[in-house]
Amino acid sequence: MEKKKVPAKIFKQEVIVFLVVIALLIFFCVASPDFRKYTTILTIMDYSYYIVLMAIGVAFPLITGGVDLSIGTGLVCYSLAGGYLIMFKGWPTGLAMIVSILFGLAIGTLNGILIGVMDLPPFLGTLCTCMITRGLGSICSKNTGISWPTTGQPGSWFRSIFKYETAGGTKIPLGFLWVLLLAIIMHFVLNHTKIGRYTIAIGSNKEAAILSGINVKFYHIMAYTISGLFAALASIAYSAVFKTVLPGTGAGFELEAIGGAIIGGVSATGGAGSIIGTFIGVFVICLLKTGLPFIGLQANWQQIVTGLVLIGSVMVDIIKKKREAKK
Amino acid sequence: MGEVILEMKKIDKSFPGVHALNNVDFEVKRGEVHALMGENGAGKSTLMKVLTGIYTKDSGTIIYEGKEVEFHSTREAQDAGIVIVHQELNMVGHLTVAQNIFIGREFKKGIRIDDKKMNEEAKKLFDRLNIDIDPTMTMSDLTVGKQQMCEIAKAISHDAKVIVFDEPSAALTEAEIEDLFKIIRDLREQQMGIVYISHRMDEIKVITDRVTVMRDGCYVGTLITEESTKDDIVNMMVGRVIYEEPKTQSQVAKDAPVVLKVEHLNAGRMVQDISFELHKGEILGFSGLMGAGRTETARAIFGADPKESGEIYVNGQPVTINSPEDAVRAGIGYLSEDRKRFGIVVQKTVAENTTMADLPNYMKGLFIDKKKEREVAKKFVDSLATKTPSVDQMVINLSGGNQQKVVIAKWLCKNCDILIFDEPTRGIDVGAKNEIYKLMNKLASEGKSIIMISSEMTEILRMSDRVVVMCEGRKTGELMIEDTTQEKIMNLATRDIN
Amino acid sequence: MNLKKIKEIPIVKKLGFNRIVLTGVLVLMYVVLSLIVDKFAGMPRIMSALNYAYFLGFLSLGVTFVIATGGIDFSIGPVMFCCALVSGYCLTSHGVPMLLSLIISVIVGLIFGMFNGYLVAYWKVPPFIVSMASMNIAKGVASVFTKTQSVSWPQAAKGGWFRSLVKVGKFPVGIVVFFAIAIVCSIVLNHTKAGRYILSLGSNREAVRLSGVDIKKWEMLAYVICGTLAGIAAIYFVGAYTTVQPGYGDQYNNEAIAGCVMGGTSMAGGLASIGGTVIGVFIIALLQEGILALGFTKDYQLIITGLIVIVAVYADVMARRRKN
Repeated sequence: MEKKKVPAKIFKQEVIVFLVVIALLIFFCVASPDFRKYTTILTIMDYSYYIVLMAIGVAFPLITGGVDLSIGTGLVCYSLAGGYLIMFKGWPTGLAMIVSILFGLAIGTLNGILIGVMDLPPFLGTLCTCMITRGLGSICSKNTGISWPTTGQPGSWFRSIFKYETAGGTKIPLGFLWVLLLAIIMHFVLNHTKIGRYTIAIGSNKEAAILSGINVKFYHIMAYTISGLFAALASIAYSAVFKTVLPGTGAGFELEAIGGAIIGGVSATGGAGSIIGTFIGVFVICLLKTGLPFIGLQANWQQIVTGLVLIGSVMVDIIKKKREAKK
Repeated sequence: MGEVILEMKKIDKSFPGVHALNNVDFEVKRGEVHALMGENGAGKSTLMKVLTGIYTKDSGTIIYEGKEVEFHSTREAQDAGIVIVHQELNMVGHLTVAQNIFIGREFKKGIRIDDKKMNEEAKKLFDRLNIDIDPTMTMSDLTVGKQQMCEIAKAISHDAKVIVFDEPSAALTEAEIEDLFKIIRDLREQQMGIVYISHRMDEIKVITDRVTVMRDGCYVGTLITEESTKDDIVNMMVGRVIYEEPKTQSQVAKDAPVVLKVEHLNAGRMVQDISFELHKGEILGFSGLMGAGRTETARAIFGADPKESGEIYVNGQPVTINSPEDAVRAGIGYLSEDRKRFGIVVQKTVAENTTMADLPNYMKGLFIDKKKEREVAKKFVDSLATKTPSVDQMVINLSGGNQQKVVIAKWLCKNCDILIFDEPTRGIDVGAKNEIYKLMNKLASEGKSIIMISSEMTEILRMSDRVVVMCEGRKTGELMIEDTTQEKIMNLATRDIN
Repeated sequence: MNLKKIKEIPIVKKLGFNRIVLTGVLVLMYVVLSLIVDKFAGMPRIMSALNYAYFLGFLSLGVTFVIATGGIDFSIGPVMFCCALVSGYCLTSHGVPMLLSLIISVIVGLIFGMFNGYLVAYWKVPPFIVSMASMNIAKGVASVFTKTQSVSWPQAAKGGWFRSLVKVGKFPVGIVVFFAIAIVCSIVLNHTKAGRYILSLGSNREAVRLSGVDIKKWEMLAYVICGTLAGIAAIYFVGAYTTVQPGYGDQYNNEAIAGCVMGGTSMAGGLASIGGTVIGVFIIALLQEGILALGFTKDYQLIITGLIVIVAVYADVMARRRKN
């Protein structure tokens, strides 16, 4: 009896969020005829990749009870650094990607040290690296917009990883497969490896984790390193989807990612979360982002709506916890 | 019972100002359940903390399995086979039962944690203990009792040879206690040495083979449970000389009006159907053992925690108290047992803490009248004889007794007529204690009414005009001071076999 | 040990050792910059640094109250921009009178402060979530309201009388206003019920609650003060820089927090110094000016401020660890 209850409970939030996604889809389809197009799906997908990747990564610091605010500006910074090497130094795309990823790992680890070892408040430590990466990005790119090789140019192969164009000219959002795959891998990491297990333990009861002889500092750092790594992967997705990357942008991306994660069931106070839920949660944000202009609201409404949705979902979480405590 | 597995000899341990353990002897045999008893503060927990490496002893020897040992951490003790099941649980609520039991030493299959095997192993452990818990349940979904079982399973999974249970039954229901006893008996069968710390006399009789009693950090004696009566044990526990004069007669006028009346107060498991009256100028002692629900009762009356039901009357008028604000408005002040957390703001000065509850009366228009504030603080520093260089001193720099006086000053400043003193002298040295006592008596004679929660028998006997005794969230008795003896209190405070 | 003695000298104790050291740092920075940068000394640079210090100072003063409660608000930069944009758009596109526009700016800030404070104090939503959300809401509102157009406030000659709040001729009126408001803040923090409760609840929330104080109300008030000051900051921002663009303002969060933390306000709450914040703000403003004067770009400002905050907060963490 009891055995069946557990998975049902875990999947509950994910199922609800999935239904919300479907409801939003239906709503926009009904409300706007223009929405019902294949290109809309492509747009949604284009937006979703980098947000999903950031969200998967940031879920880990969130589950430790912290947060990573540096992922948005970090993404732009890593993309600018890699792109600069291609554009101005003639580096091959693959090598530049590796640089981007290493950059992300380094900043992530730095965050981990600031928070896990030096005990800085997570929002403050990562707010600083948020500003630092923004500055670094502009310096790396000499303050100009950077374009990774566009379709047709040599070295543009990486774009077709995300959007594959068939001989007939149909575009297939292949990236969806890859981010889904990564989400499944990280779902596994969270639930079936030591890294994930201890990430949860730190967020749930750090004291108990220390008493159990776990190297808490190391695993605390790891959570932020993962976040940095996925911000770097997101930077590649971003570079592949959009033509130009501008220095000084990126602030605000983290809200979409963190919002997606929290909608998907990651607790804002740590200790619990689901990567698959996060994956689905991001699509709520992406649908709003792409859908709102179709019903006559400017793109910037999406910022307001995202902010409210984030607060709303945290409030729902708080009410739920209060009810449970009463029981 | 087999041979001796663990022997502690002449253990001595001092903390600044306290001689916590004074030449204590203690031994456990294989296949024995050995009770460790004593009043709060008798040194039971300290002794066990010395054993498991949380504290280092000043002198004495520990012999375990024939060899002299000294552990420096719980981890070392664990590895050697001595584990402790704490009263407070150390569990990661979001993980499953099996994941908690094996945390820090997970089974792995490549990089993957082998949850299946962990579940199987946990199941085996539970089978061995005859417990029915699903290892895949999330820890926070279990009842406290079941969580306790998991702690025990975790302890046993360390290949334990000696298990210390520190008040394991405090949070358990009747049925759960039955299960616990079954487990303990099984463990005894398996030739483990078991130390059982408890206040509950009935349990001691049911489950243990021998009883060692401690008092004031000293070893008093060891009895064979079967051959001794409850009275024997109680006498050993309380048999200390009382240096302070106990009160022999209530100082309250016969016709003193009732200032506070509490009726059928309920707030969770620790506060069940509590009713009592407090008279003007009375010191009403609340006695009971740790976990009897006295602090919870006080907090519920004060509005610090939500209550489920019950009426409170102040001076005959019904009052609604849903928050400390309401309580203060009704003239009730609460001095918490944990001053640092709930009483004072350490980074603020004596003067600022004094007016904390009554700041609106120290305003000059929009601004705080700091002159008046200092004056009133000075007045209380003088009248309470608080030792502080000035009223501008940060409270963090004062000693415990003087911090307590600052908290008292806070409520006197607010002019509360009903004061709840929760363990007023905890962590305070003897001299300062006497001052606090004198102060309380003075307050009572001036017409303030005091509820005093205390775990110290002598304090209760010396200060109270009347004593309410609680046990496990219920009021078990009420004694006029004339009829009160330590034995009577102890009998009411410990549960009898029904 | 000598240091301890110095700290005990009455005048040092009165002014605060940290504040004296910070003032020393400020003076030293100015001297060094004057020596190594050509033409750094002199009014133009000082005026420019002051322009920066005004708006940053108001933000910093506000966030000092929030940090004193043990919370955080990093929506203030974008909120300031939102205030400037909404009121500026009212002024330029809807013909709202100048005075009313200025009031609107303060009111928009006040509303954001109430929103943040209500969610943190009454709903217990983690402050970082609230900050993040209202940061984006502020950007969104500003963009939607102005239809994503930047707004330019009128010059002094063309009815922009509000600029005399910043300076009249060569006289920096702003500094008078800034000091006046800083003194008011200092009085509020140290001599009123609000300040007493805000600091006390930042230090020990439960003790204050158990003294019968409505801590939710006072905690919310800290955020309201912070938001209102962001509205005032907006006036000084446009007074100095004329044009605001929607979608920006993030960087000032960090700089405001930097000024506050450098001035000795503890991130753990309960300890705050308005005087320290004021000096901290001047250091940050001078630093930004200095970085540009040395020929570096704005980007270096971001990086250096980030590093400064890390160091300042770490020092605070270490100080607390040593105490325990």
